[in-house]
Amino acid sequence: MTTVEAHAADLPQPGRGRREAGVPTPLVGMLLFIASEVMFFGGLFAAYFNSRAAHAAAWHPPPGGELDMPLAAVLTAILVSSSFTMQFGVAAIRRGDQRGLRLWVGLTLVLGVLFLLGQLYDYSRLGFGIGDGIFGTTFYTLTGFHGAHVFGGAVGLTVILSRALQGQFSAGNHVAVEAVSIYWHFVDVVWIALFTTIYILR
Amino acid sequence: MTDATVGYFLIGIAILFVLGLVFALSSRQGRLQQERPAPPPGVHLPTGSYLPVVLAVGAALLGAGFAFRPEGMIANIFLAVPGLLVLVGSIFAWVRAAGREWREIERGAHDDAPGH
Amino acid sequence: MATTTLNPRAETYQRSWVLDWLTTVDHKKIGILYIVNSFLFFFAAGILALVIRSELAVPGLQFLDEATYNQAFTMHGTIMIFLFIVPVLSGFANYVVPLMLGAPDMAFPRINALSFWLLPLGGILIFSGYLFGGAAAEGWTGYNPLTQAKYSPGPGTDLWLIGLTLVGTASILGSINFIATIFKMRAPGMTLFRMPIFVWTVLVTAVLILLATPVFTAGLIALFIDRNYGGSFFDPSVGGNPILWQHIFWFFGHPEVYIVILPAMGVVSEILPVFSRKPLFGYRAFVFATIGIGLLSFSVWAHHMFTTGFVFLPFFSFMTALIAVPTGVKFFNWLATLWRGKLSLTTPMLFALGFLSMFLIGGLSGVMLSSPAVDFHLQDTYFVVAHLHYVFFGGSVFGVFAATYYWFPKMTGRRLNEGLGKVHFWMHFVGFNLAFFPMHQLGISGMPRRIADYSPDAGWTILNLMSTAGAFLIALSIFPFLINVIATFINGERVGDDPWEGNTLEWATSSPPPPYNFDRLPPIHSERPLFFLTHGHGHTADRPDDVVEKPEDDVERRGGAV
Repeated sequence: MTTVEAHAADLPQPGRGRREAGVPTPLVGMLLFIASEVMFFGGLFAAYFNSRAAHAAAWHPPPGGELDMPLAAVLTAILVSSSFTMQFGVAAIRRGDQRGLRLWVGLTLVLGVLFLLGQLYDYSRLGFGIGDGIFGTTFYTLTGFHGAHVFGGAVGLTVILSRALQGQFSAGNHVAVEAVSIYWHFVDVVWIALFTTIYILR
Repeated sequence: MTDATVGYFLIGIAILFVLGLVFALSSRQGRLQQERPAPPPGVHLPTGSYLPVVLAVGAALLGAGFAFRPEGMIANIFLAVPGLLVLVGSIFAWVRAAGREWREIERGAHDDAPGH
Repeated sequence: MATTTLNPRAETYQRSWVLDWLTTVDHKKIGILYIVNSFLFFFAAGILALVIRSELAVPGLQFLDEATYNQAFTMHGTIMIFLFIVPVLSGFANYVVPLMLGAPDMAFPRINALSFWLLPLGGILIFSGYLFGGAAAEGWTGYNPLTQAKYSPGPGTDLWLIGLTLVGTASILGSINFIATIFKMRAPGMTLFRMPIFVWTVLVTAVLILLATPVFTAGLIALFIDRNYGGSFFDPSVGGNPILWQHIFWFFGHPEVYIVILPAMGVVSEILPVFSRKPLFGYRAFVFATIGIGLLSFSVWAHHMFTTGFVFLPFFSFMTALIAVPTGVKFFNWLATLWRGKLSLTTPMLFALGFLSMFLIGGLSGVMLSSPAVDFHLQDTYFVVAHLHYVFFGGSVFGVFAATYYWFPKMTGRRLNEGLGKVHFWMHFVGFNLAFFPMHQLGISGMPRRIADYSPDAGWTILNLMSTAGAFLIALSIFPFLINVIATFINGERVGDDPWEGNTLEWATSSPPPPYNFDRLPPIHSERPLFFLTHGHGHTADRPDDVVEKPEDDVERRGGAV
């Protein structure tokens, strides 16, 4: 009977796909996951815009509350820089630079934690909560879930930092770094959309 | 007919059905498990793992912690905290195991013995 | 017929089978877990249906109160959709897709297992509402403000929200797995346009799940925040918008119904060619029709909201009618596949033919509802209940049973008894039509949905009685099915690799397949690799690969292309 001899290089592998072709399978998984997260935030943004349109005449924090625009701008700067540092880290390991990877990933993690602390500080000083009317609900839901995603990203950064410190990455094998970096950029983009929507568009 | 009666009734039927299925399957499964052919060269199959079940249980406990939230609190501590610990723990174990498997594949250990 | 694989090299070792199933990452075992778990929930939700129909058979509240009745139809709908029909199709996809692609497993086997285990746990959470003051009782659509805490206190609705979040997450993880597998794990030679149609439908379904379900998750979480943390998303008394819930729900909810039907259409598209001894007519048209349905499904959601007064009627009515076009293309292709074919009316074929006729009726009633003028009278009546059961049950469930009878031999090495299968089919078919056809008339006569009781003067009694009789006949039809399954497991007729003379790769390995699926793969030059392997072109099977294709025999080029 005529059958094809399976050559090791051609056979698909669970988790790895066909070795010679295209985007590595874990990255495909991460991109698809990010697509689903975009839709998740899409639902939350839809709620925000729908609520804002229904209350266009009076879309602001409840009495006693106020948005801290300067602090939010600082947070934006922190997160955007962290995307740069993350990308420098990816560039480093692509050239096989272990020290560079550790440095830049470590810096990204520090910036990420700073962002989270800043966000918590902002929450403590806002003067309104999630239960204070429709503005409060949408504000905290959007920024809160974004913060949760930053936290998840920080966990991912910790994992790759610890693996980088153990020297587990190389120029030819660092797909986890690429995956975490894509996720981190996504988190940054969502924040930019949030900042524009909540603080600039108002 | 009260709500709880319906619930118990349904659970009872489910348990009976599962037991019946277990009985039916157990008479066959012994035979299936004895043959474990080795994959052709170059194909690496992942071995079984308890982490998916454990992670799912952790997530369910955490979720239950939110569903049974006592008045004035964010969640039910007795359900949510163990759930969160199990969830986070299994995620870490998962990532470590996945990392280990990747490095093994890189190093070229292809023809694994069954149960490896 | 000749088998087409070598015997696997066997080695022996012992293992506790409970642990084996609990820790398995093998897509075939996970597929079986999905299917068995789904059928358990099917029976539970089916019993709820019998409870509903028993109460509605004659006027007067015989044995339920309104609150319990509301829980019954809510749980029936929720469990049937989220814990039966979507997972069971996912289970068949899990089992069959890697085999059809010639792959050894899914792209992410452990995440595959995680996707499964979240299901029974999520289902238990949803059902456990019954033990804690009442399950969710606001309809599977969870409309606000009824679902707000002040109108539906107690953990039942919260458990519903949390359980569905878990189940939704499981679905999303599964969809990532399927898309990655289909793009990265195809065997050499299998281009996208040589994949079986079932794989195409699974691919489009996975994309729908990936993009629609997270929106539902966002809504579920938003409602949870409203109920538990003083949120104001959907409660009008604090500035929220109940119509927002409907938008979020149906933006997901409409793609959801295509998630439910597309894989079943894929199953039918596999079965009809095999049992007509003809290739599928119009392979490419099928692929594009499936993609078209997927895209359009995101543009029609507000046809569930025509009567709110808050949607732009012309757009949504037009898009809804438009979606009938690719569906019609599929119907013509199926009929053309059957035309002048050599039909063998095995049980899977009967269920596939049943799908064609029943889904046609369901689709037609859907087109009727796409007109706002008609919908304004029929919204929230039993006409809609008839429509949704003809498409969900007459469509997807018939597809599920077709898949069960078709792939059971592959999964177990034994064929289900044809006699019992036919008894099951006819009882099921008659019972189904008896149960649901009268509902069209009931809706037109004005009987609303979700009512526990009705007046004896309404004139609805006879039709309700008929419907209840049909429901019980469906329930009875499960018995020949169960007896068949159990008896076949114990001592059924054994079959080889390819009992149906199939076209696709899952039939090119043993029944059941070894853990790694294939020792060797046949050459893949068309969407029917196994057909060309076993039939060649009148040549014996040991001709070299490069003469497998001959233009005059390549039906794909001759009659299959658009």
